[in-house]
Amino acid sequence: MLGVGGGFVLIPLQVLWAGTPQRHANANSLVAIIPIALAALPIYYFRKGSPQVDFHAALFLVIGSVVGAYAGARLLKRIPERELKVLVAVVLGVLGLKELLFP
Amino acid sequence: MTWSDVLLIAGGLLGGFFSGTVGIGGGVLFVPTLTVGFRLSQAVAQGTSLLAIVPTAIVGGLTHLREGNVQVRPALWMGGGGLVGAIVGALVAVEVPGPLLARVWGAFLVLFALRLGYQAFQPTRRPG
Repeated sequence: MLGVGGGFVLIPLQVLWAGTPQRHANANSLVAIIPIALAALPIYYFRKGSPQVDFHAALFLVIGSVVGAYAGARLLKRIPERELKVLVAVVLGVLGLKELLFP
Repeated sequence: MTWSDVLLIAGGLLGGFFSGTVGIGGGVLFVPTLTVGFRLSQAVAQGTSLLAIVPTAIVGGLTHLREGNVQVRPALWMGGGGLVGAIVGALVAVEVPGPLLARVWGAFLVLFALRLGYQAFQPTRRPG
């Protein structure tokens, strides 16, 4: 719907209601995003007559993001739970402020 | 390869890194990279972001699996639930311009962030 995977919905859900440790919550979220994005993509792509995707931009985004995702995922275990919570709080807080002020 | 391609790779790298650590898809950074940096329309940026999220989440998710970060059963439940939500959302909510929804959601995220920050600075409690 927003062109995002929905991870920022899944993380609060897990931590607030299920009491999932942050490290697992973040990893679970990313795994859950795979089917979500896969399902949303064709709907998005075919919704309008013309394709809604810029393949050139997507290719270069992916070149960077795949490397970043691998590095981030490898790093996760080394980040202490508290620092991780702060990182998540900052990222989601900024995101929330942005939505709140400039929806 | 142009400078804008380099900028795209950099945006992807940063988005992917947040994706791997925080567990978001990366779209949060992809979309502004595409709209602000490349003047793509919001619709095209979102579609492109969604496409870029798939390989990002697959690589990040598989790495998390190998690292033992994933709780498989909750992840599958959320994936399934999210799948249904995504299909409904993409088919229905697409027609609803939702600034109000975004505001409500933003407020919720801010509250959650504050709570999480508060939690992080509590004295360490024993688990359980």
